[in-house]
Amino acid sequence: MNRDRVSSFLFFLLGLFICLYSLTYNLGSPMAPGSGLMPFLCGAAMCFLAVAGFTFTTLSKRRAETEGPLFKGQAWQRSVLTLGALLALLLLMKPLGFTLATVLFVGFLLRAIVPQRWPVVILVTLLTAAISFLVFEVWLQAQLPRGPWGI
Amino acid sequence: MEILHNMGMGFQTALESVNLLLCFIGVLTGTLVGVLPGIGPMAAMSLLLPTTFHVSPVSAIIMLAGIYYGAMYGGSTTSILVNIPGEAASVVTCLDGYQMARQGRAGPALGIAAFGSFIAGTLSTAGLMLVAPPLAQMALKFGSPEYFALIFLGLTTVTYLASGPMWKSLMMAALGLFLGCIGMDVAIGATRFAFGIVELFDGVGIVPVAMGLFGIAEVLLNVEQSMERSILTSRVRNLLPTREDWAASMPAILRGSVLGFLLGVLPGGGPLISSFAAYAVEKRVSREPERFGTGMIQGVAGPESANNAATGGAFVPLLTLGIPPTAVMALLLGALIIFGVQPGPRLVAEHPQLFWGVIASMYVGNAMLLILNLPLIGMWIQILKVPYPILFPLILLFCVIGAYSLNNSITEVGIMILFGVIGYFLRKLEFEPAPLILALVLGPMLELNFRQSLAMGDGRLFFFFERPISAIILFIALLLLFMPLIRGARRRGLGPQEV
Repeated sequence: MNRDRVSSFLFFLLGLFICLYSLTYNLGSPMAPGSGLMPFLCGAAMCFLAVAGFTFTTLSKRRAETEGPLFKGQAWQRSVLTLGALLALLLLMKPLGFTLATVLFVGFLLRAIVPQRWPVVILVTLLTAAISFLVFEVWLQAQLPRGPWGI
Repeated sequence: MEILHNMGMGFQTALESVNLLLCFIGVLTGTLVGVLPGIGPMAAMSLLLPTTFHVSPVSAIIMLAGIYYGAMYGGSTTSILVNIPGEAASVVTCLDGYQMARQGRAGPALGIAAFGSFIAGTLSTAGLMLVAPPLAQMALKFGSPEYFALIFLGLTTVTYLASGPMWKSLMMAALGLFLGCIGMDVAIGATRFAFGIVELFDGVGIVPVAMGLFGIAEVLLNVEQSMERSILTSRVRNLLPTREDWAASMPAILRGSVLGFLLGVLPGGGPLISSFAAYAVEKRVSREPERFGTGMIQGVAGPESANNAATGGAFVPLLTLGIPPTAVMALLLGALIIFGVQPGPRLVAEHPQLFWGVIASMYVGNAMLLILNLPLIGMWIQILKVPYPILFPLILLFCVIGAYSLNNSITEVGIMILFGVIGYFLRKLEFEPAPLILALVLGPMLELNFRQSLAMGDGRLFFFFERPISAIILFIALLLLFMPLIRGARRRGLGPQEV
């Protein structure tokens, strides 16, 4: 799999979608350009660049450098876990409240990615929740979501 | 005399207690993010932008600017002690800085980096003070075609100077321009590509996009790597450089300051390019170029001065033309617009307190940084010892808080995470996100000026070339755009070239 050719193909599809969708807005005339003109030009540019990228990757000496899997030799599972934790925080922030969601989020990441000792996890988690509550909620009045317990 | 009067007004603003405090918080945070690898000034500024909504625009910009030039100071500490650049502009400092540290000369390396940064920062602020007002006066004569040409040149230069094949950086610029189209069409008031999402009616916000692309994506990439790092454990002594060190470094500092400022003014220049250019210059003018990379103090002094001078230079096009030359400046432009201040040639006349206050605060901030970076070096070394597995959940949490507090909206957090994932894959596929951010901010301005120019020229595209200033600027931009093809054609016969 050549990464550059795959990415140029995906960008081509995205550019094509933008071009076609722009047509639903008015392209206007050269004297009075419409709302759709700029996104249409962007989409067209993306399609052109994708074709150019595909062609040059195919012809280029650099082709070998962009061959191979995207995640070879890397702990990609850590990224997936981190992303999962972020999405969970997104979903839980409103129902649980910011402080409790923070405790769960930080605690999970400290244990799951590169496992830390429990005393470290508890200390860092509680300190983070307390400091962020005091700084953002109390001092900066950021109006973070509150849970059923009022925090 | 007028300049003295204006600077007096600037210092009056900068020395107000709240501005002093915010300047200190800015430079402290900047040094911190500069010291810590894995979080740069872009992420830190996006993160702290929502916290500035409670203060005046001048105070907010003073703090955000402090983060930017503070990060340039902090980055050198990590480069010298850990051989990992704290932020991109300190990459080249690793070459000689770390070698100096290995030879037991970490103190002079850190010292000259701090003094060089201070001198360059102060000189570039003076340059900004002298260059910006006359440039703003000249820019008052610019119309839509000139603005279109300038923005186009800015985007082209950034894509030209970005690393990797040019088609990739142009793709990022095109994607950024498209993202800039999302939301309300300012000309007729209709929404585009919002798909019924209320948060998108005002457009895609630069802050969640920047935090996603630079903060979240960076963490997702870092957690995949080995998180071990070895810090020089020997005691750092003799921070004050010797007379010989000064004699060797002073010309490098002055050259770095001038080069950094000039490259900072140019669209796409910025601290990264400036530091590399300064290193190349030092190597070229040296009598012992072969010794570079073995612990030459000029290899630290030149680049560190240049990257600091570039931050001052980068303010020139932002404050006088309203055109940001780098992604970080694009974020500052976004911040100014959020505060209802339109950067451009009228800024000096309409918001003198902001303009001169920010300039004066840079003098104050640079002095603060010298104090922070020399006596407190031990504290920064201790912070460097905080393991990344403990640090990254906190970075992510602060990103979430920052995105949420923009509009108290979960959707903004969702947009940030989405761009985090996009940024992660873009980086994996070797696409540089900086042109995207710049294009996102410049997109609406580019579109507006393009449409106005077409209307002015009765729909003729050649209208842009009928006006001398826009014609010259567009000619340079097109030259940069087609440079890889021209180079390829000249080398034809040696095989297909990279575009």
